[in-house]
This record gives sequence, structure tokens and C-alpha cells, in this order.
Amino acid sequence: MKRTHRSAPFFLAGAFALAAAGGLSAQTLEDLKKDHETPGDVLVYGMGLQGQRYSPLKSITKDNVKRLVPKWSYSMNDTRGAEAFPLVSNGMVYTTSHSATVAVDAVTGKQVWKTVHDYPPEVLRIVCCGIVNRGAAIYNGKVIRVTLDNHIVAMDAKTGKVVYDVVSPEISADTGYSMTGAPLISNGVLITGVAGAEYGIRGFIEGYDAETGKHLWRLYTIPKEGEPGHETWAGDSAKVGGGSSWVTGTYDADLDLVYWGVGNPSPWNPRGRKGDNLFTNAIFAIRPKTGERVWYYQTSPEDPFDYDAVQTPVIATINVEGKPRKVVMQANRNGFLYVLDAADGKLLAANAFDKVNWADGVDLKTGRPKVNDVFKGALAGENVTVWPSVSGSTNWQHMAFSPLTGALYINVIHVGMTYQAGDPPKNLTMGRPSGPGSVKRTTVLDDPNVLGYLKAVDPLTGKSKWETPYKSPNFSSTMVTASNLVFTGVMTGEFQALDADTGKVLWSFQTPSGIIGQPITWERDGKQYVTVMSGIGGVYALRSGDPNLANVPAGASLWTFGLFED
Amino acid sequence: MRSHLTAAALAAALLATATAARSDDAAVIALGEETFNTYCSTCHGNNLESTGQTFDLRKLKATERARFQNSVTNGKNQMPPWKGVLSDAEMEGLWRYIRANANEK
Repeated sequence: MKRTHRSAPFFLAGAFALAAAGGLSAQTLEDLKKDHETPGDVLVYGMGLQGQRYSPLKSITKDNVKRLVPKWSYSMNDTRGAEAFPLVSNGMVYTTSHSATVAVDAVTGKQVWKTVHDYPPEVLRIVCCGIVNRGAAIYNGKVIRVTLDNHIVAMDAKTGKVVYDVVSPEISADTGYSMTGAPLISNGVLITGVAGAEYGIRGFIEGYDAETGKHLWRLYTIPKEGEPGHETWAGDSAKVGGGSSWVTGTYDADLDLVYWGVGNPSPWNPRGRKGDNLFTNAIFAIRPKTGERVWYYQTSPEDPFDYDAVQTPVIATINVEGKPRKVVMQANRNGFLYVLDAADGKLLAANAFDKVNWADGVDLKTGRPKVNDVFKGALAGENVTVWPSVSGSTNWQHMAFSPLTGALYINVIHVGMTYQAGDPPKNLTMGRPSGPGSVKRTTVLDDPNVLGYLKAVDPLTGKSKWETPYKSPNFSSTMVTASNLVFTGVMTGEFQALDADTGKVLWSFQTPSGIIGQPITWERDGKQYVTVMSGIGGVYALRSGDPNLANVPAGASLWTFGLFED
Repeated sequence: MRSHLTAAALAAALLATATAARSDDAAVIALGEETFNTYCSTCHGNNLESTGQTFDLRKLKATERARFQNSVTNGKNQMPPWKGVLSDAEMEGLWRYIRANANEK
């Protein structure tokens, strides 16, 4: 059924200017494809289907960024982590929390609508790592999101009225499944993943007709008995194999391929699931209309350390051995930065971008990590010291890529751990915690005052052009502009702009809570704005016990900044 | 480096060297630690180390058993109810594990 919201937003003051800048109203597939070129709107998670988080805007510069001031802030009336990627379309900013979707007037900051999504409290029993939602998709007049109890909900972008509300078939929180990521619209198909690898799920990625909510396909990440890859799991360990898909992917319209990361095997304790554990910790290339897996690349076979390969694969054309090549890049949780050919998944480069001691590099021919005694000791049940920790060198926070500087801007977690896997947990079933207590860990630090860096990294070497240290790791994503400014947030609340050439912090503003959100930038009437959510939460803030965060209050809010005007 | 796991291990070790009755205590606390790691640490922190975004269980006082039992059983604010999931023995173990690591013994 076709919707009729095409002309609706014209009543909004100033919408005409936005139309001129960025394509009006209906958010067609063509609009989504061009999102990275139309800074008047932000329609796709990652500021474009490539996920580069790069903006051609440059009216906020290194010189004038010190005049950046808040234009408005908006309370989410919520105390959980604010991880969502805001969208901007037709004069509205849209964002989400775990339990609500809101539309806020982009100029005034006033709420236009708020739609609340209730879910049973028991659902929170199977949410391992923060009660969050990472944002919505927008398509053809509908704002579409997922919920913790596995609903896909489409709302009228103008009114918030629910257009469809479907539930993912045959699964439930009782069997360990939840949904926290932002969906991706590719070729008319809404794609979503699931969380739950800490609760023994059989992970999958699935597609829905974005227009109607009709379920189209499901691609499981864990093979059943008789399917290729099942032989990479000892005994019947694949039955609770995990392989979640909790972070949003990217889409290349020319190749018609979606790139989506797959998470860790279940349980963390590796000693009862000997083998490569396909297809956990892998990057998938998927045909969006059918769900066919065209290629995959596994980053961490037989993973003891919770090294999900879920960080959003960033698509770019870069020079490889002197020739332009379309690649996907992932700064993996395991500490290696992977560059793969976008068409066939061939490994082009894999270099450490922070301290890594479980492997001595990656074999470019086989694509496999050169695992060493630390890794082998972990599998054997020995007490080993491992870098990076279970949090990873990155976690879910997204990196940005600037085609101008050729660098990736990565918030890196610089924390190690002692690790010892006891006897493998027994009697695992879907929907129950998969024996996290059977792995004993303690935190190991190089310097108690430096637990993270923002790094400008060369994709092909992993080497940094600069590194700016932080007392706690940043779980905010990064964003980079054509004026060579990098924006990011700090877990103690500062929203910052850094010089993309030197890493120097040029501007900082203290928001009311910690930032674990995703900065975006957009323009209206020729003026550039920057929007981000503040609101501490998520896995690190809840679980790390980091003393630096002891005085950071919870409370989610949405902020928009612009240059001060006399 | 975090030290509370070591403290818990030390406490457990001290208990284990005492009388047979004390050994039973250690077993109860060990069950509580395992239960905490399985169900509770996701929000209340590894080794009970709350960063401040959720209730710091180490603040529970010896007189607050009823409050603890009610919150865990029925849920509170955004904490899910655990009725039907945790056994009486696990609940007792949890309480004893928390008390063994409490700020005010």
C-alpha cells in the first residue's frame, strides 16, 4: 500500500529551504542512496548508506568552532543509555530510546510527537549489556524501529501514529532474543539483526518489506545439523551457538550488497565448542531482496574473548597498491583493522590498531589470525593476560572515514584483562544466561589515567597519524566534516570537536550526563548544526566499575548545537 | 586492576579454613556469587562494582533483607522481576554474597 505523506511537511516553517538543500518529503530509495550528498537531511544510519559518518558541510570550521553553542536541548524523560543515531528530515529530528520514539522540531527543539512502546518487564532479564535502542530508519513517510521484545514498528513521520507493528516470527525474549539496533533500508527491504548471544540464541539477520512490514527472509548465522559449517562446532554445541547481529550494517547500491557484522559464539567459555564456530565473528555480504549470503569473512575463529565482528563495516573507495578499489573496513573488537574487497570479500589488509597480544598478525593468504600461546593457553584453561579485554579494542561505537584525509577516526578502548576459562558450563538452553561465571576475568591497565584514545588511523597500515588520550574510553561514535573537524562525545559528558589533522581538542561542552551517542551534522537555511544525544549507560558504564564515572548522573537528552549569532 | 574479586576470594578462603559450619557458609556465598554473575552483574556491575547508574548493592544493610527480597522478586523501576527464575537457595546465596562484600558489615 502506498502512503501519501509526500507533500505533508510543507506546513512546517522553513521546510522549503530544507527541500532545496536535501530533497523533500517522502524519503525515496533514491533519497536514501544520495543521503551522504544531501546535508539538509540525515536519512540513513551512519550519515549515508556507506556508513562513513562524513559530511561535506564546512561552515563550522577550526577557526569558528569555539563559537559553537547549544541551540536547544530536549529531555527524553529516561535514565537509560542514549545510544541512538538521530535522523533529520523535513524540519524534524527523530530519535529513540528503548521505550519511545520522538519527533522534535529541528528549529525550536519542541516535541512534535512521542510514541511510547511498552514491553513486559520480564524482557529485561535477557538484556545483557544496557537497556538501549540505537535509532530508527526513515522511508517513504515512515519512521521505523525495532523494540526489545522484537517488534518492528513503523510510525507516520508526521504524526507518530503506528502504521504497522509486526513481531519477528517464532522467537521471543523467553528464548533469549531481543532487538536493540537501528534497522537499515536497502533496496526497499528493512533489515534488522538480533541480540542474545549471551543467552544461547541461534542468531540471524532478517528482512521485511519496509512498506508493509511483511517478513521476507531470515538468514541464520549458526548452521543446523547437515548445513555447511555445522562441522565447525564440537558435539551439539551449535544448538546454543549465539552469533547475534546487534549492530547495523551498510549497503552498496551498485553491488546490491548489504554488509552486516555477526557477533560472538555462545557461551564465552570456548572449551565446550571446539572448532571454528562458523559463522560467528564474521562479516556477511547479503543480497537484500533474498537474504542470500554472497560472501563472508570470519575474523575470530573459536573465539574465547567475546570478540564480536559487529562494528559497522564502512564502505569506501580507497587507493590499494595505487589503484582505486571499493572496500569495506572494520576496526574489529579483536584489535585488527580489516580491509576487504567489497565485491568478493578478499582480505586486502589486516593490521593492529591498538595493543593486541593474542595473535601475531593475520595471514593475508588464509585470512586467519596467527594465534599464539596467549590464545592457545586461553583455550586450554590457563590464566592468561590478554589485550584487548572482553570490551574489545572497539565495541559497537562507530568510526568515521574522511575521503579528504583518507583516515579513519576511531574511538579505541585501551584495556586488557586476565582471563581464565574454567570447565565449560553444562545444560545450556536458549533463553538462559550462557554461564558467564565460568570465565574469570580481572581488568589490566597500562596507565590508570588512559583507558582510551581517539585515533586517526590509516586503513591499510593500522598506524595512527595522531592519538588523543582519554581517562575513560569513549563509547560515543565519531563524525568528521569537510572542514576537518572530528566530533565525538566523552563518557563524563563532554561533547567535543577535535582537529582532524592533529587530534587537538578545539571545543568542548559539558552535557548533563555521559555521552555514548552518535553525533550527526546537517544544515538548514545555510547554517550548519550538530546534533547528539547525551545519557550514560550501556555495557561499559554498567559493568566496568570505572571509578572515573562515579559522579556521572544518568538522564537522556537530545542536543543541537550551532554557531553563536549576535 | 580491580581488587574486589580478590577480596571475595580471600573472604571465601578464610571461611573455608574455619569450622565445618563455616565451610557451609562459603558454599552458600559461592552459590550467591555464581548467581550474581549469571543474572545480576549485567546491570549491577562485575564483582558488585556499580559505577553509579544502577543501585550499588554493597550499600544494602543487614536489616534490609525484606527490601532486597521484594525488589528481586517483583522487580523495581527498570529491574525485571525474578520470581520463578531464582530458587530460594539462590536468593539466600545472593543475599549472603552481597552481605559478605557490603560496605557496612
